[in-house]
Amino acid sequence: MFRLIKVTGESLSPFLKDGDYVLITTAPFLLKKINRGDLVVFHHDDVGMMIKKVAYVDPSLDALFVIGTHPSSVDSKQLGPISNNSIIGKVIWHIPSPV
Amino acid sequence: MIYQIINMLDSKIGVKRAKAHCDVPCGIYDPSTAQIAALTVVRMMDLMADLEVKGDDKGTSYHNSMARYIDVKEEHAEKAKHEVRVIWGDYIKAQHVEQHPGLTDLVHKIMQLGSKSRQTADREAGVQFVEAINEFAQIFWETKGVATKRANAPYAPALEMVYPDL
Repeated sequence: MFRLIKVTGESLSPFLKDGDYVLITTAPFLLKKINRGDLVVFHHDDVGMMIKKVAYVDPSLDALFVIGTHPSSVDSKQLGPISNNSIIGKVIWHIPSPV
Repeated sequence: MIYQIINMLDSKIGVKRAKAHCDVPCGIYDPSTAQIAALTVVRMMDLMADLEVKGDDKGTSYHNSMARYIDVKEEHAEKAKHEVRVIWGDYIKAQHVEQHPGLTDLVHKIMQLGSKSRQTADREAGVQFVEAINEFAQIFWETKGVATKRANAPYAPALEMVYPDL
């Protein structure tokens, strides 16, 4: 239902920084309600577990497209659309690092 | 407080990591390319000055060699600037600038000295270009927690360089 995840990397800075923790929900009924702007954790075949921001949801593809907030972040142009089956959870709580 | 508790919990049980990387994992940044390029600029300046002294006959051979030295000087000054811009833009983060308040001015200085090294054959500008990139390299390695040492390059023009002390 809930999982604690540590963020590595800076692609979502200044919102999430390297070393921050997030609490995600993995509840299926909540994952059906993903909207633009949500932060999602998903599995990518080449990269592993990633966290990104939802740029838009495409119901026809049963997938969503993600972006980072850092100017040089990779996004769905490089990663491709993220299928709903790859979504692990949605961020519901952010615990920032005190740096 | 909450962060410290979770962090302690993490060290005990191991929380999973989710990557928020900017580049599909690469993370290979190294200022040595910029340092070597800047050193090449000074080397070309020296070769140009040497040719000017020795080249009594300002014939085709002289012009050919001089043109080649200038071309390499141009190319490497721009290469050094490019490499610094990549580290500055893709690797350096706000917290690094907070820890090293002079970093922004230093990068600007490198850009200016790089341009001067292209526009002129002023060796002093070239030497300052090398030293400014040395300072940049020192800060870069500090952000990585890697100690540095200074030593003369083992090839002409044998200027002092900053190396990671691995």
